Amino acid sequence: MTTSRRLLLTGGAGLAAAIALAACGGSSSDEPAVAEDATFADGSTMKKLADAGKITIGTKFDQPLFGQAGPDGTPAGFDVEIGTLIAAALGIEKKSIEWVETVSANREPFIENGKVDLVVATYTINDTRKEVVDFAGPYYVAGQALMVTKDNEDITGEDTLEGKKVASVEGSTPAQYMTDNHPEAELSTFDTYSNCVTALTNGQVDAVTTDNVILAGFVAANKEELKLVGDGATFTEEPYGIGLKKGDDDFRTFVNDTLQAAYDDGSWAKAWEETAGAVLPTPDPPEIDRY
Amino acid sequence: MTQTTSALPPAGSPGARPLVAVEGVQKHFGDLHVLKDVDLSVAAGEVVVVLGPSGSGKSTLCRTINRLETIDEGEIRIDGEPLPTSGPGLARLRSEVGMVFQSFNLFAHKTVLENVTVAPIKVKKVPRKEAEARAMELLERVGVADQARKLPAQLSGGQQQRVAIARSLAMAPKVMLFDEPTSALDPEMINEVIEVMTGLAKDGMTMIVVTHEMGFARRTADRVVFMDAGRILEVAPPEDFFAHPRTERAQDFLAKILQH
Amino acid sequence: MRSLLLEHDLLWQAFSTTLMLAAVSGAIALVVGTVVAGLRVSPYLPLRTVATLYTEFLRNTPLTIVFFFYVFVTPSMGFTLEYKAAAIIALSSYTSAFVAEAVRSGINSVGVGQAEAARSLGMSFGQNLAIVVLPQAFRTAIPPLINVLIALVKNTSVAGAFSVLELFAMSRRLTNVHSGDVLGILAGVALCYLIICIPLGRLAAGIERKVAFAR
Repeated sequence: MTTSRRLLLTGGAGLAAAIALAACGGSSSDEPAVAEDATFADGSTMKKLADAGKITIGTKFDQPLFGQAGPDGTPAGFDVEIGTLIAAALGIEKKSIEWVETVSANREPFIENGKVDLVVATYTINDTRKEVVDFAGPYYVAGQALMVTKDNEDITGEDTLEGKKVASVEGSTPAQYMTDNHPEAELSTFDTYSNCVTALTNGQVDAVTTDNVILAGFVAANKEELKLVGDGATFTEEPYGIGLKKGDDDFRTFVNDTLQAAYDDGSWAKAWEETAGAVLPTPDPPEIDRY
Repeated sequence: MTQTTSALPPAGSPGARPLVAVEGVQKHFGDLHVLKDVDLSVAAGEVVVVLGPSGSGKSTLCRTINRLETIDEGEIRIDGEPLPTSGPGLARLRSEVGMVFQSFNLFAHKTVLENVTVAPIKVKKVPRKEAEARAMELLERVGVADQARKLPAQLSGGQQQRVAIARSLAMAPKVMLFDEPTSALDPEMINEVIEVMTGLAKDGMTMIVVTHEMGFARRTADRVVFMDAGRILEVAPPEDFFAHPRTERAQDFLAKILQH
Repeated sequence: MRSLLLEHDLLWQAFSTTLMLAAVSGAIALVVGTVVAGLRVSPYLPLRTVATLYTEFLRNTPLTIVFFFYVFVTPSMGFTLEYKAAAIIALSSYTSAFVAEAVRSGINSVGVGQAEAARSLGMSFGQNLAIVVLPQAFRTAIPPLINVLIALVKNTSVAGAFSVLELFAMSRRLTNVHSGDVLGILAGVALCYLIICIPLGRLAAGIERKVAFAR
């Protein structure tokens, strides 16, 4: 194909995108303000995404309050709001974001082979993961907590799990924490949290353990039967970060700056209140780790 | 069912009662009426040959006698006992009625010897040694003892059919049914099977034979039954039947057969 | 791969669990499936109906739902099973439906004259099936049966979602701890399944050659 032909084609595509944008009109009032005048250095990831006018973000589709897909397949929750904030700073409208479901096991591969530009998916920052991906944030510090049935008075914290059956998801950090720190408890692992909760309401396990925000989602959905132990007291620190390609320091700095700006102008708190805030009190924003 | 066939006690002394009694039998295949009010009585030691054009119902009649085909109306009795519709009683009666099929139906995965011993061992609980000794006698009698260790597929059609006869005989049946036993055979193998059947008849076996072998019917049958369109049209000694067929259908049939 | 070598105790535990699930469920499924296939050709309508419903229901239900039933629904009806036992019951009942279909197609391939000859010799329905029909049916059923068993080996991975630490659950656990080696771990796990399945295929080929008798 000749150079002139290729130019013609890209020009055509650009024109079509412009028409599409014009036809769709402006963003609705409760979406973050899209940066109209954003300019980025040539060759940067920001420039590339801003020019394309779209971004692919991985999030969970099955976690209430953070990333849960609605009937139309579009996810909603705090993670989704954070992703939308970052897209807005790149000049990308919410409707131009492609959401990809990432589960715990495929987050690193998806980032490594470029299937997603960012992962905002209750993604705990840790050193092993840092070997293969980089993290912006943290934008929230979750922690492992326990959920029991409403009538349970035996379990009051992580020290009261002797001989108790505790469910969590296979391959998750909370499950690993149980194996490492509470061998006195009997761990049952399932593939999804909803199966863990079924086991709990069935009486097959005594407690479900994972990050407090996840448990909060289940309590919110079934307040009659379930409760958080110690009002959601956490016994670990799970800093949630935004996963991106390793070595893309400019992009990481940009995402960190965007987060900081969202802390400062209140849009971070607003995002929380509209989502996870329905169940959990609004925390102070965590300090960003610019390693 | 007609009034005369119901609750009919066997007349006369036990020795005189028929070994096989078919009374007022009706059978349909869907809309097709394949057996129309069929009556047939076969005495012990008698050889009855059933003749008729294809589709006349003669094979179906043969198969109803051990209930490989069910009947819609009427009654069939073996040695005075009505044929049960299912269950162990039916299995026991079947074991007393030998059957030889057109397509031999030897058990393909078993050797010739096993084919002959399996039913005595499993059904009659005859000890294996005894069953095998008896099987070898029977195989000797039908002339295939030297093939005892082979699989059926390694034998010729004529040999297979002779094994099938031995297999039936091993159950010591009261009566043997032959459903076109030579129709699937190459011409040069027909005689070896006919010879075995003639020998059986001479030994006094009660036999009902559906066949196209007119020579066998002429020489060996005590009576010939002629069927057409699901009905028995004539029952006569072979010499009468072949010399003076009374019905037009039988005359046509014989004319066609004898042209060959 | 490196992390699998590092965690070889866990790998061995998971591998033997997968093997156990496949072997025990396979054995049960072969027996139950053969019985169900026999019932499907039985002369009694109620038995045929029950067998048909059993086969069609299990064959057309996703395995995960069968698991869900035995792991979560039966306990809520007051009948709690060990997770491994529930997995074996789920896998063997699901697989038995496919075994039944394979055996039934084998039965249908046996000439009707074989069963008629057996009946005319006075064999009962059970004897007919056991002595005459099934031995011949299995010869044609072996290739589909081996496919069913290979599918079973892979289906054991569903147990990993229901609190049984087999190969797939292990891979999820390890990919969390060794997140840099996800592809290596999954490749290693795939290799483990191959190690189980390939001999099955070879066995099938061997049996087929051996029983390819002249019909």
